[in-house]
Amino acid sequence: MKRASVILVIAGLCGAARASDWTDKVEFSGYLQSDLRYVIEDYRGPRPGEGFRFEMNRNDLNLRLKIHPDPSAQAVVDARFRFYGFNESATLPELVRRTRVDPYDFQLNEAYLAVRGHPFDAMDFRVGRLIESWGTADMFNPTDNLNARDFSDPLDYTAKVPNQMIEVSVYPTDWLTLTGVFVPVFKPSLLPPSASLGFAVETTRDGCFLRAPTPPLSRADIHRLQGLFAMADPCRLSFAPEVRTVTPPLNFRNSQAAVRAKVQADLGEHGGALDLSFSYFYGRFTFPVAYTAVANLVPSSQNPDVTEVRYTAQMIYPRMHVAGADFAYSPPVDWLPGLFGEVALIFPEQVTFGLAVLKNGVLQPSLLFSGVNVPRTPFVKATVGVDYTFTSWLYMNVQYVRGFFDEFNDRYGLHNYLAPAVELKFFEDEWKIRLAGAWNLDDLSAAVFPELTVVVVPSIELTGGVWAYLGDTKPLDPQSYAGRSKFGQKATGRSVAYLKARVTW
Amino acid sequence: MTSASRWVFGVVLSVLWCATGGPAAAEDLSAQRILERMDQVIYGFDDQIMDVKMTVVDTDGSSKSYQFTIYQKGAQQRLVRFTSGEVQGMATLVESPTRMYVYLPGFKKVRQVAAHAMGQTFAGSDYTMDDISNPTFASRYQAALDREDDHHWYLVLTPKSGENPLYPRVEITVQKGTFFQNETRYFDEKGRLVKTMSCSEPKDYHGRSRYSVIVLKDARTGHSTRFDILDFRVNQGLKDSMFTVRELQWSR
Repeated sequence: MKRASVILVIAGLCGAARASDWTDKVEFSGYLQSDLRYVIEDYRGPRPGEGFRFEMNRNDLNLRLKIHPDPSAQAVVDARFRFYGFNESATLPELVRRTRVDPYDFQLNEAYLAVRGHPFDAMDFRVGRLIESWGTADMFNPTDNLNARDFSDPLDYTAKVPNQMIEVSVYPTDWLTLTGVFVPVFKPSLLPPSASLGFAVETTRDGCFLRAPTPPLSRADIHRLQGLFAMADPCRLSFAPEVRTVTPPLNFRNSQAAVRAKVQADLGEHGGALDLSFSYFYGRFTFPVAYTAVANLVPSSQNPDVTEVRYTAQMIYPRMHVAGADFAYSPPVDWLPGLFGEVALIFPEQVTFGLAVLKNGVLQPSLLFSGVNVPRTPFVKATVGVDYTFTSWLYMNVQYVRGFFDEFNDRYGLHNYLAPAVELKFFEDEWKIRLAGAWNLDDLSAAVFPELTVVVVPSIELTGGVWAYLGDTKPLDPQSYAGRSKFGQKATGRSVAYLKARVTW
Repeated sequence: MTSASRWVFGVVLSVLWCATGGPAAAEDLSAQRILERMDQVIYGFDDQIMDVKMTVVDTDGSSKSYQFTIYQKGAQQRLVRFTSGEVQGMATLVESPTRMYVYLPGFKKVRQVAAHAMGQTFAGSDYTMDDISNPTFASRYQAALDREDDHHWYLVLTPKSGENPLYPRVEITVQKGTFFQNETRYFDEKGRLVKTMSCSEPKDYHGRSRYSVIVLKDARTGHSTRFDILDFRVNQGLKDSMFTVRELQWSR
């Protein structure tokens, strides 16, 4: 009996030791967040007067698990459950399905293995579903092209679309890092829910044709095209637009790859700190670019007096080579601001846009339009910024941006932006006010987002704010593809007020 | 840049200032030598690992706590990982007094920290980046012996020629025999007391004795920050490679 007791004690200790070993190798973290949003206008929706309603009633559960089976290896899984909070059932049978009444989805943000110091001491590699972030600027990173952007939630502007990658980093010296990444399969960016409004035909309250999106053609061609509809009775026109995207085939030619050399420059004891990177990326632009369109005019099957315009557009993801460089400099004295910047020289694939008009399925030779949408000419996208901490409670960051995320030097062109951000902290940093925005210097439209975050207790934050778009919703120049307000156009999104609650562990 | 990212390892400095050390032989020491010995007691290890709980206490008595782990090698290399609170997952790295980085988990990005952020505090605590990035005294200050008694030396520190530390005057109480730093008082350029650091409650950590509680009090506001040393280990064989951006990238 005594021997059995000893054995049991030993077994218990061994079990406890094994359990302790196991828990030492696991890190578990995550957050739970609720997000409530309300549309605060009624003129940016698909129909005039639609607004002042709840837009979001969402709950997210994010779980992150990191396992270290060996000191030189780790596995990371980052997953998210998202509950949308809006009933999607419309019929009685759907009411028996919880997923219709309480829809949700599951996302795997990251799932990869990482190995350090193998096969060489100065080498690390990661393989799997990854999110990479290159560049030194805040948010506007023209040299960061490995992951597509996730703008499905415009307020979560740092989100990206995860993708399978192989990343190898080599550290030949303590001041030099060489990184190579291979992305086998292309994934496009996610667009905001309002993106379809960029192709929507606007009508009056009576349902009469008012305005159609301007295609990327020359001014003369647009004038001819608009003349085609100018003769028709707008109340006897019905539009049925459809936009398709062309997914690149799954072969090596459509894989993506990038390399980067990162240098920590030694400027001496009184020179400050300077980091430089030089990179090259080959792949595709992740935002769709207009490629072709067909407009087939047929009598409506429901009313022969009404002409139905079946508009089918195709968009592609053009290839590009990107030569990039970035820097971050911290001066040695505290009365000078920090400087950072990125520049990307992009060599695009030329995209020629073509539009054909058919009547009852018959091609109209006189109504064939074609023009270069994206010229082969290399162009530059860049971000330059400064930041400074004035006092312990006041911080400011200002960036100049040349070329927004979705701009590719097509007929819309590259625009210039100013992105300032001011942060104020009060009450032992428990209250943080952030005043930020992006201002298009060319058309003077803007997106502004003031926000207040309260740290109720460590790990729990309440955030309230407004995300507002300022600018004309109507095209500034209806006869130009570039004649639309960047932040004023409806496709950019709705102005909302929001309240978030988050707990982190 | 988050406020947490602007907060730099003041706790490391404080904790190390209240360092343990072996018994010191009695010797006739100059003030500067006393200061050097005090620094040496703090940094007289190959490396150190500390688990710390920081509690920020407001004047109305309310408090909030954060936990983090500090890895230190020598006097300059320092890595801090935040393990609780809304900044859980964030890490800051000091490679040298002029080169610091922060890992921001929300952005999955390592970002350089600029000099202008040196005056930033974290979560309303009383520690700034400058407190942490320049931890030793002897290299920056000239010491003079103000007075002494049977148990302590009372040193007055002023900046050395060519140095421009945040506090133009510092008064330190150094315990005789152990060279422990008991109390430190910081003054601004007008000679006004800015803050006071006190160490107490000695405790044994794996055979090494050190103060387990450090309190930094702002003389102007009455606000205070308390550090509880939950665990302290030395000479763990930490490699230089741990204090590099590579390590920050690895741990994201």
